[in-house]
Amino acid sequence: MNTTLSDSSRNSLFPRGPGLGVKLTLLASLSILLMVAEKRGNPQLELARQWLSWALTPVMWIATSPAEVAGGVDHLRSREALLRDNHELRERLLKQDARLLRLESLEAENIRIRELLASSSSLEDRVLIAEVLATSQDPYRHQIVLNKGGRDGVYRGQALVDAEGIMGQVVQVNPGSSVALLITDPDHGIPVEINRTGLQTIALGRGDGHGLSLPYLPGNADVKVGDLLVTSGLGGRFPAGYPVGTIHELKHAGGESFMEAIAYPKAKLSQGRQALLVWSERALPSSGTEEEPIAVPIDLPVKPEAAATTATPKKPAPAAVPPAPTPTSAPPAAPAPAPKSAPAAKPAAAPKQQPVTP
Amino acid sequence: MIASLGFVASLVLALMLQIVDLPEWAAVARPAWPLLVIGYWALYAPNAPAILAAWLLGICCDVLLSAPLGQHALGLVVVAIVIRRLSGIYILFPLWQAALALIPVWALYVFLMFWIDGLARHAADSTLRWMPIVSTTIAWPIFAGLLDSFRARRTRNRDRMRLP
Repeated sequence: MNTTLSDSSRNSLFPRGPGLGVKLTLLASLSILLMVAEKRGNPQLELARQWLSWALTPVMWIATSPAEVAGGVDHLRSREALLRDNHELRERLLKQDARLLRLESLEAENIRIRELLASSSSLEDRVLIAEVLATSQDPYRHQIVLNKGGRDGVYRGQALVDAEGIMGQVVQVNPGSSVALLITDPDHGIPVEINRTGLQTIALGRGDGHGLSLPYLPGNADVKVGDLLVTSGLGGRFPAGYPVGTIHELKHAGGESFMEAIAYPKAKLSQGRQALLVWSERALPSSGTEEEPIAVPIDLPVKPEAAATTATPKKPAPAAVPPAPTPTSAPPAAPAPAPKSAPAAKPAAAPKQQPVTP
Repeated sequence: MIASLGFVASLVLALMLQIVDLPEWAAVARPAWPLLVIGYWALYAPNAPAILAAWLLGICCDVLLSAPLGQHALGLVVVAIVIRRLSGIYILFPLWQAALALIPVWALYVFLMFWIDGLARHAADSTLRWMPIVSTTIAWPIFAGLLDSFRARRTRNRDRMRLP
């Protein structure tokens, strides 16, 4: 109830403390310094980010609660719907069981054949189920936050899959949570092979939320709409043989020596609350940034990529692999043009053992 | 005391609204909530520590959105300073005119984010990037009006700078 100027107006007319210009210089240069330091990979900043992320967990919990409440409404569904669901699931289980029976015999056979070839890589991967805490916070940054972190043994670069296929990889590990980059993010590249032919290439995210782009296909490559893409296991980030997507469209501009294919991911990236973290065999324990080159006999003219797929033993004895090409997932149908397409090994995920020629 | 509590609460609320789950079509048009709240405090509360708050809020945004540390902080600080600097002009406009006059400021923020992402080699769909300008402009009169009515109820008889 004061009749004179209040403190607030007086302060604004004659500001005390540092002026706007000083504040701007100080805070802006601090921000820029932080960005540069982080780009250089400062370990203290990484730690600070983890702590901040831990401190902000309550905010994230509350922000994700609307989705949980919406999930809670599901409890009030009708009995008929539940019965129908139950029935459907039973049918599916039966079908899956039948397939699994066949798979078991196939797996046993595969192990026997692998033993014959003295290859030590196994079919089973260690997995961990993680809940998706938050998704699509930015429309142009395709990331999800998982509720498993360093305490559960999650490491940077770990592959993330769901029931249908590869989802992405872990890019940041906090003590109790982790951030994963989805394969549709424009920053993401994944080495794939076309399941039908064994052709190796790289699939990049397109950034529109639901597409992958294969820009390094030679113009005469044998690719068809509907072809299945599986992980090739090159680079060691992703375990080999998981489905990635299906080719949806082929773009071949006349006169260009490369053609581009558009694929849609198999995994349901923006649906579902669960994901599987996979420990792939060749993963490095801590950071996974330094990849050791593995001695692979590349003098086999026919199928160098098949040899590379088998050369995924547990680290100690890399050179002990005999140069026996075993197609793990691809049918042996890659004739002469297939090895020619290998130099598409551009992104960081690609290994060094490829004879790279630009 | 209560005033500063409201200040902090509005910042935390903005942070939550920024990361709350939305369907895909709505996420594209999500208003930049930290921008709205920092813009409001910088413009209509001359003694609130809006600039320092902008920096801290920006750092929190960077952590929650997994952006380079300092990116949103830099953008929000620049926005807060520009609005503080021009608050003498902006304060004269009625609400809807202020919403229009603030468009260049939001554009500056979005451009800064775009630019830093470019430096950090983070390619992105450029049409999606400019959408927050539209949604923030639409949200501004509603948000500023709401926040102002909250404050007005508390400080009804005090001589404060408020929305004209």
